[in-house]
Amino acid sequence: MLEGLGNIIVKEVKELIRDPKILIGMIIIPMLLFPFMGLALRVATQTAVESTKAMSIGVIDQDRGVYAQTLFELFSVSNLTVVRLDATDIQQIAKNVQESNMTAVVVIPEGFSQNITDNIQAKLNVYGVFRGAGMAETTSPSTVVSLVNAYSRQLALQKAGNNTAILDPVSPSQESIVKGKVVSVSPSVLSTLVLSQYIGVPIGITVLIVFAMQIAATSVASEKEDKTLETMLTMPVGRFTILLGKLSGSTIAAAVGALAMVIGLNYYMSSITFAVPAEAGVDLNSIGLAPTLTAYLVLAASLFVTLLSALALAIAVSSFAEDVRSAQAIVGYFYFIIFIPMMFLMYTDISLMPLPIRLVLLAIPYTHPMLAARAGFTGDYTTAVLGIAYVTAFTLTILYIAARVFTTEKILTARIRFRRPKKREE
Amino acid sequence: MVYAVEAEDLGKRFGDIVALQGLTFRVEEGRIFGLIGPNGAGKTTSLRIFSTLLLPTSGSARVFGHDVVNEASEVRRLITYLPEEAGAYKNLSGYEYLQFMGRFNSQNGDDLAKMVEDAASISGLGERLRDKVKTYSKGMKRRLLVARALMNKPKLAVLDEPTSGLDVLHSHHVRGIIKKYVEEQGVTVLLSSHNMLEVEYLCEKVALISKGKIVAEGAPVELKVRYKSSNLEEVFAEVAGLA
Repeated sequence: MLEGLGNIIVKEVKELIRDPKILIGMIIIPMLLFPFMGLALRVATQTAVESTKAMSIGVIDQDRGVYAQTLFELFSVSNLTVVRLDATDIQQIAKNVQESNMTAVVVIPEGFSQNITDNIQAKLNVYGVFRGAGMAETTSPSTVVSLVNAYSRQLALQKAGNNTAILDPVSPSQESIVKGKVVSVSPSVLSTLVLSQYIGVPIGITVLIVFAMQIAATSVASEKEDKTLETMLTMPVGRFTILLGKLSGSTIAAAVGALAMVIGLNYYMSSITFAVPAEAGVDLNSIGLAPTLTAYLVLAASLFVTLLSALALAIAVSSFAEDVRSAQAIVGYFYFIIFIPMMFLMYTDISLMPLPIRLVLLAIPYTHPMLAARAGFTGDYTTAVLGIAYVTAFTLTILYIAARVFTTEKILTARIRFRRPKKREE
Repeated sequence: MVYAVEAEDLGKRFGDIVALQGLTFRVEEGRIFGLIGPNGAGKTTSLRIFSTLLLPTSGSARVFGHDVVNEASEVRRLITYLPEEAGAYKNLSGYEYLQFMGRFNSQNGDDLAKMVEDAASISGLGERLRDKVKTYSKGMKRRLLVARALMNKPKLAVLDEPTSGLDVLHSHHVRGIIKKYVEEQGVTVLLSSHNMLEVEYLCEKVALISKGKIVAEGAPVELKVRYKSSNLEEVFAEVAGLA
């Protein structure tokens, strides 16, 4: 029944992958863009780290007491280059500081040590020297403040006779309840881990669908634009087989594009040093949050039917276009439907949304793979499986329409064309 | 008797526009039959109906006894169609294109290899077949497409303006190929053309179409005698005025 399908798929993939527009725009650029962004970020981070090491701060010590001295020594033993400034007032030397390489100035006022001794809160001022929008402007004063805070805590401990119970009479310990079981991992650590899934999966799925639709639209419209469709439709091969060949070829080309993007994105993500807490070495398996085989299968099934529906939709609508540009424009109208679920589901759980919004989201097929991706965490496989059934029904309807378009003469006689308005020659 | 091509009171409408009305003609096997007429006369519409691309609104069209509507897949096994503005997949090489198209009609690898070899010889493109189609000139592309249309020795080749847009030399080459292939392989050809010289050279029988109707039919020589004209162009001017 599907004789010739393999022949069509191979041709489709060759044509699509060799098309410079697709090769460059959908494979090479995404593969290079993210690593390039990652490289830029890596270079920026390294520069910032190195500049922190070379950071120079000035200290105006108006106190000259013992605590001011210990604080000065604490600054000196850290990575900072500390310069003692001989001035009575910051205003006096502000101009000189601005022209120096100092990134922060600490002013320890008179009475600083005495106040500490008398159990009166001692104050000091930290001035950040602003020269541009570099990272050193932010990191230098905050490094100083962290050192001062550490010093302050150490002093408090000493005054409390090293008794933390006096300093922190109440110490909360954070744990989580996951799928009805108590696990000793803080909720913030868990949400950091799960958030990466919540944000990454919708973006990945959306990009894959958009890629596939663009490719499918190009695939059909270029047959019309290059005048190959008429010949193809007179070959001894079923129209449904031609349709399936286009679907499969577009899926493969889209998968190559998506893979290129994932490789690039992966490099980009690895370039970002996330401030993941030390206790993040959490074994997701032991707490039941690692996606199981069932979760993967449900996600794969959901993704597959959704992708098919998107491709069938792209092929059905682009059949009415006369050229590639018009086809891509028509398909573009559907993107907002794809982006809506991504925007909503990236930050919020569907169950927390008002009923009308929830119903609208559930009616959009592209919502369902994102819900299926969460089933692994939430254990809500019923919604995921119902979603697959719904998307399958939607896909079959669209496939039927696409097949109808392909088997009638509409595919040749329909004409939608987008052109720039013609200008009169000067 | 089973005719290679048989149109019986064939009609086609596109909304309010009548493209064909009451077209009736027959083509015997192994003959070259030409549909001639001005732009918009209905030539391409007729060829598209016989190629199973368009559905007739009335009447019937048969290819070797198979109805083009009810037995479309049977008809597609017997024909090849060369549209007037046909193209080839530009990112494939000439060889890859021929192989891709050939696979639909070949039984096995040997069969396919023979077809591609024949096509290479018909096209006369030689080593250029290894280059991508997008590097071909218009003439080279047309030669490739004509070769594709003939390589599987179809029972019926439907050729819409086979030398469309070609210069004198390329046109001459393509006409030569068609004539030779029909004589050697016994292929039936249904073609359309504006070029009366081409029609006189190629066709054993022609039908003159104007405004969707056949206004005269017969062998070129016979028509010239009938309308006391020195060439088919004059015949056409004469009969089109009668239409």
